Amino acid sequence: MSSSDAAVVEKAAAEKTAAEKAAVGKAVVEKTAVEMNVHVRYFAAAADAAGSEDEMILMNAGSTLGELKAELTRRYGPDMEQVVRTGSFLVDKVVRRDLDWPVSSQVDVLPPFAGG
Amino acid sequence: MTTPRMPHTGHSAPLVAAGPPLTPERLARFSRQLLMPGFGEIAQRRLANARVLVVGAGGLGSASVPYLAAAGVGTIGVIDSDVVEPSNLHRQVAHGMRDIGRSKVDSIADTVAAIDPNVRFHRHDLRLDSHNARDLLDGYDLVMDGSDNFPTRYLTNDAAALAHKPLVWGAILRYSGQASVSWADHGPTYRDLFPSPPGPDEILNCADGGVLPTVCAVIGAIMCGEAIKIITGIGDLLIGRVTTYDALSGRYRELEYGRDPDAAPITELIDYELFCSGSAPHTAHDDAADRADGADDTIDVQTLSRHLANRSPIQLVDVRELFEAKIVCLPDAEVIPLGALVGSLDRIRTDVPVVVYCHHGTRSRMALDLLQSRGFSNVRHLDGGVDAYATLVDPALTRY
Repeated sequence: MSSSDAAVVEKAAAEKTAAEKAAVGKAVVEKTAVEMNVHVRYFAAAADAAGSEDEMILMNAGSTLGELKAELTRRYGPDMEQVVRTGSFLVDKVVRRDLDWPVSSQVDVLPPFAGG
Repeated sequence: MTTPRMPHTGHSAPLVAAGPPLTPERLARFSRQLLMPGFGEIAQRRLANARVLVVGAGGLGSASVPYLAAAGVGTIGVIDSDVVEPSNLHRQVAHGMRDIGRSKVDSIADTVAAIDPNVRFHRHDLRLDSHNARDLLDGYDLVMDGSDNFPTRYLTNDAAALAHKPLVWGAILRYSGQASVSWADHGPTYRDLFPSPPGPDEILNCADGGVLPTVCAVIGAIMCGEAIKIITGIGDLLIGRVTTYDALSGRYRELEYGRDPDAAPITELIDYELFCSGSAPHTAHDDAADRADGADDTIDVQTLSRHLANRSPIQLVDVRELFEAKIVCLPDAEVIPLGALVGSLDRIRTDVPVVVYCHHGTRSRMALDLLQSRGFSNVRHLDGGVDAYATLVDPALTRY
């Protein structure tokens, strides 16, 4: 990939992210100031634990990743607890480890595995 | 929900320069891919000039190395220190019955030679480590990781990043697979997706969790496809995206990821066994404390064999699947598969010490955690499982 290609990709991605952020902010404001819908996508063992590939979870605006993880464990028990302990949680496509990080409208849950 | 397609980046720059012109025989051999729009003779000469290093000759290596050879990659190196075992054959289709007991790199070298004897094949019958990684990667343009453990995956990622080389990685377990391209100079890496490794006993491997053979085929083929695209400069690469495959639903789903803003820069190779051991570097005092702690809930095979010989009152609980107990089982063990354990707690005795075991010690560690969380205190798990027992105590037992 040439540097100019990379620059085009990065610029497009930045524009896209900015547009998405604006869309997300608008949707939340229009819906309600106190609650937000979080679209959670589950992959591999996370989907097994949840029994579905994705769902909308209604949370208080400003809820944190820690609160989402607790909610998932409460809903789905030990199998999900294992996923919560070892899996990656991506908020708006960026992995977040800080439990105080605010969740947004999209969270992806991806467990690692190393089989080859 | 639809995911908007990333803007088409057009043709990324090819990784490898074109080699010398091809003979008519070679042109005929590759004619079916030379015909494709956007491919052509120059792309084929780039493949012929390319040097690809594949880490692991297991399920993913079996599904990618033969395709690399068939597609015309000129130089292929494979790293693996294992020998072929009967339990590999359901998914590692580059090996056959006659290869049992042979080194996997020798076996897959024969597979490659049968496809195309013109391929320059390098056998690396060793385990990739922090000391040999730099020199090994030096001789190649691109790395593919189909290894079977986390320390190797983080090592391969870091070594490729430091060498400014693209890494195509894939991973499989049960009915699921993942694949992506990690290329530090152009986008996020494996560490941006998985910043911290799970503890050594927290995630099942294929030996303990099982794997559908066709998942290897799917993910290995995706990996090989990305390698061909990187070498020849065609298409959009799986950079900043991971493709996931679920064989049960038959669905592929994609997940985009950016750089981890909290990630420390990769500056050197580290001790990856330690990194993935679940404990940060610590003092000798901590080590002693760990050993003392570990002694409380782990039992080694020699100690267990003495207990069995003395007919000590213990309850042996086998948490493997029922079919595994038919292959080999310790005497008087009660079989309660791990998945059924939480519903069978009334079968766990509290009047005698309990020892849980499995194949290698991963599932029994999970069973131990579960039982301890439910208040069972007099429980230990067998370090190394029935496989260690067969290896170190009773060679008459079947290994699988």
